[in-house]
Amino acid sequence: MAPARAPDRLWFERIPMAWWIVVAVLLTMPLFANNFWLFQVMGWSFILGTIAVSLTFLAGYGGMVSLLQMSIAGLAGYMVAILGPSGTTSISLGLAWWIVLPAAFLIAAVFATLCGALAVRTEGIYTIMITLAIAAAFFYFTRQNYTIFNGYSGFNLVLPPQLFGVNWRDPAPFYYLCLGCAALCYGAVVYITRSPFGLALQGVRDNPRRMAALGFNVTAHRVAAHALASVFASVGGILLVWQNAQIAPGTIGIPAAIDILVVAVIGGIRRPLGAFVGAFIYVILQVFSPDILGTFGFSAERFKLIIGLGFLAVVLFSPDGVLGLWDRWRARRARRVDPLTGAPR
Amino acid sequence: MDKFAKTNPAWALVIALVVVAFLWLVLAPWPTELEAAIGRKRVFLNALLGGITLGALYFLVASGFTLIFGLLRIVNLAHGSLFLLGGYIGYEVTNYTGSWFLAFPIVFVAVGLVGLAMQRFIFAYMEGEELRQTLVSIGLSVVLADVMLWYWGGQSYTTLAPGFLRGPMELPLISSINTTSGEAIFIRYPSVRIWILIAAIVIGVAMWLVLNRTSLGMLIRAGVDDREMLAASGVRIQLVFLAVFVFGAGLAGMAGVVGGTFQSLSPGEDTRFLLASLVVVIVGGMGSIVGAAIGALVIGIAEQMGLVYAPTYSVVFTFLIMAAVLAFRPQGFLGAGR
Amino acid sequence: MTLAAPDDRLTQMNSGNALELRGITKMFGALAAIADVTLTVRPGERRAVLGSNGAGKTTLFNCITGDFPATSGIIRFFGEDVTAFPPYERIRRGLRRTYQISSLFAGLTVMDNVYLACRGVSRNRYSLLRPRSDDALVHAAETLVEAVNLTAVRDQLVGELAYGQQRQLEIALALSGAPRFILFDEPAAGLSPTERRDLVTILTSLPSHIGYIIIEHDMDVALRVVESVTMMHNGRIFKEGLPSEIEDDPEVQELYLGGGHG
Repeated sequence: MAPARAPDRLWFERIPMAWWIVVAVLLTMPLFANNFWLFQVMGWSFILGTIAVSLTFLAGYGGMVSLLQMSIAGLAGYMVAILGPSGTTSISLGLAWWIVLPAAFLIAAVFATLCGALAVRTEGIYTIMITLAIAAAFFYFTRQNYTIFNGYSGFNLVLPPQLFGVNWRDPAPFYYLCLGCAALCYGAVVYITRSPFGLALQGVRDNPRRMAALGFNVTAHRVAAHALASVFASVGGILLVWQNAQIAPGTIGIPAAIDILVVAVIGGIRRPLGAFVGAFIYVILQVFSPDILGTFGFSAERFKLIIGLGFLAVVLFSPDGVLGLWDRWRARRARRVDPLTGAPR
Repeated sequence: MDKFAKTNPAWALVIALVVVAFLWLVLAPWPTELEAAIGRKRVFLNALLGGITLGALYFLVASGFTLIFGLLRIVNLAHGSLFLLGGYIGYEVTNYTGSWFLAFPIVFVAVGLVGLAMQRFIFAYMEGEELRQTLVSIGLSVVLADVMLWYWGGQSYTTLAPGFLRGPMELPLISSINTTSGEAIFIRYPSVRIWILIAAIVIGVAMWLVLNRTSLGMLIRAGVDDREMLAASGVRIQLVFLAVFVFGAGLAGMAGVVGGTFQSLSPGEDTRFLLASLVVVIVGGMGSIVGAAIGALVIGIAEQMGLVYAPTYSVVFTFLIMAAVLAFRPQGFLGAGR
Repeated sequence: MTLAAPDDRLTQMNSGNALELRGITKMFGALAAIADVTLTVRPGERRAVLGSNGAGKTTLFNCITGDFPATSGIIRFFGEDVTAFPPYERIRRGLRRTYQISSLFAGLTVMDNVYLACRGVSRNRYSLLRPRSDDALVHAAETLVEAVNLTAVRDQLVGELAYGQQRQLEIALALSGAPRFILFDEPAAGLSPTERRDLVTILTSLPSHIGYIIIEHDMDVALRVVESVTMMHNGRIFKEGLPSEIEDDPEVQELYLGGGHG
């Protein structure tokens, strides 16, 4: 809670140089990157990262590893397609965006709250099993239900609204849209960490029984965390349906649900930044592995093998993910320097 | 049983009535009004038998899963991959040797060895780290799925049962009464499914006997109840763990052969059977063999009945059962309270 | 400061007792950890519960806070029947406890631990806004941290604290908010003589309206900070009295205080 004591530097002076460089590169990227890079690589990274950061929030701070985040994102995406305009005019209602978006967030949050309430009935490792089972049930349901979810084919031609006369699916606007949403979600997760709710959630993760003995309703906090995480997942889900311009059961299948976990774990599930680092690595591998695999005579499908092995390596050797590796590398370098200078770093 | 009837007479009566009604539905020929209302009896019996035999298959997969969880506290999400791997190997063995029966021991050993490698070289090093073990098993399932796709491709395979098991067999259950001759027509059902049901029952009973009537079973049950005490008592617990993991993996592999004969094998079946196992053990109770049997039966019948009578929503039935169990009895039908 | 006689206590029911237990029994399987415990404590009263290991003292605390609900019996807290309440509802009504084995949030700082404790018994538990530095609860937390002499380590992670400091933090958590009654479970265990003196100071300087029950094996600490004593044995209460009476009671001497104190 420590309020900053007598700051001797202004807040922006305390942000390391590396951050300023990253921000500058991200903001100016449309000036030097091509459309494919903006739309496919960076856009998709931000979207995946946003969905994964909702898992980081639940797992890293709340200790609840949920495989439902992709389903919740998908439900929000589906709602945008169903309530708003799409190519499937027989089902889509074609409502205005200012009704569609709040409704999508709300419905996804209600779904997340209900599922969360089921999942927190049990603890620990059961959560992962129950959420996996619910995710699968939702996937099969969307595939079989034609009256609402249009079954196997789903919805296509789901486009973002033309706000301010901008086509938000053009590469540069879409890039900035995704960057803005991702930055907001990341900032929100970091900010909430130090709020009463965020602190209480970490308390619940560390010692639920003691939290109850401090006056906290542990179950309600856990369910509320599921509801809050659904907001981030929904942001990602809606951006995803706009990026692909379509949504189908395959978007929310079990492999997709597991990919979100893989992304969060590879980056480092204890820190919000890890979700975006993991997403970037995942997308780079996904996008460029066909070429590389092709040169060695493998089929592009072996991408899954690489991701699986990479995930295994991270879980086995660096539970803090890539960010953890980075920290350790820096710590080792710092130790090497220390004896010479005698000063810290 | 008596005690239950005495303490809850109303519920006991309801249950008894349901059982009687069910038995009547199964045994008696249906009057035409009933057939007009809910369809022919043959359809009902086929769905029921389909559900029971599917339940037998689910039991074979889920019993290994629940045993491994009960003793080792490992949620092995690569269990479905072991199932599919067993199915593919069984297909190859059957094709190569021409013997369906030979596939079972070979698959049991082969998949058991994969399980041995998993437990001995990976899971044993992270004992007690439940989440990490689960994550590792997810990674293994991704890798195994892709390796299998690499080798066996995306097409589907069906293992052929030997000739004498292939045809239908007549069961002593009346399907309908021939209106002209008055003769009873009996239901005919694929005999391989009936034999597999019998095999599953035999395996289930054998597992129960080993667990409840032998000293090895006592060791395992003691380990389920109190691992620290067992470890402290000087038993070579790691060997027991290894044996249970290998057995559970081998069983999943054999179930794969059965699954390849019942239905077909293709990428994605690993996930399907993993999920079936998850739902079965959530419903039946983690770590309980009898719970797995009950859960498998309930889920198998619900799935088949749903497919016949409400095809759009069959998945929803399964899910609703799971949600209801979680809401009212989070530890499952026979799970230990925790 | 004498104990009311049992008959008087029955007539006082609902009339201003801080804590009132009637026939509390807790079964673990077929084993009764505590059996038919009846106990009343007046507001502001300070009492020690003594007894050998396994006498059921900590189980009694768990039943009072609801950590493990009692199998049967009634618990009233300031006249209100809290028997069916979950722990957090009891805490919000002014009950507090410390744990025998420190039960803290190792991944959070000292200030965060105390702040959480203050937040748990106030409103806006679900607030998503960071507290401002002039937040009343932040001040309350700072005051508490100072009261238990932890200001020097206020921003350290709790996992890195020394054992004695963790015990002090444990007490700070119990003092948060506006406690009306506190259960101290062996607060002196493992403390150095200096730390014990500090502990006695903290306990005796608590505002007089705050009553407590203390489980303590160290008679020097226990009998100096209480005005009444309850002896437990095998899950039952077998003697109540003034500290001086208990200290001199030959039966108690033999059973618990042993040769060392005799």
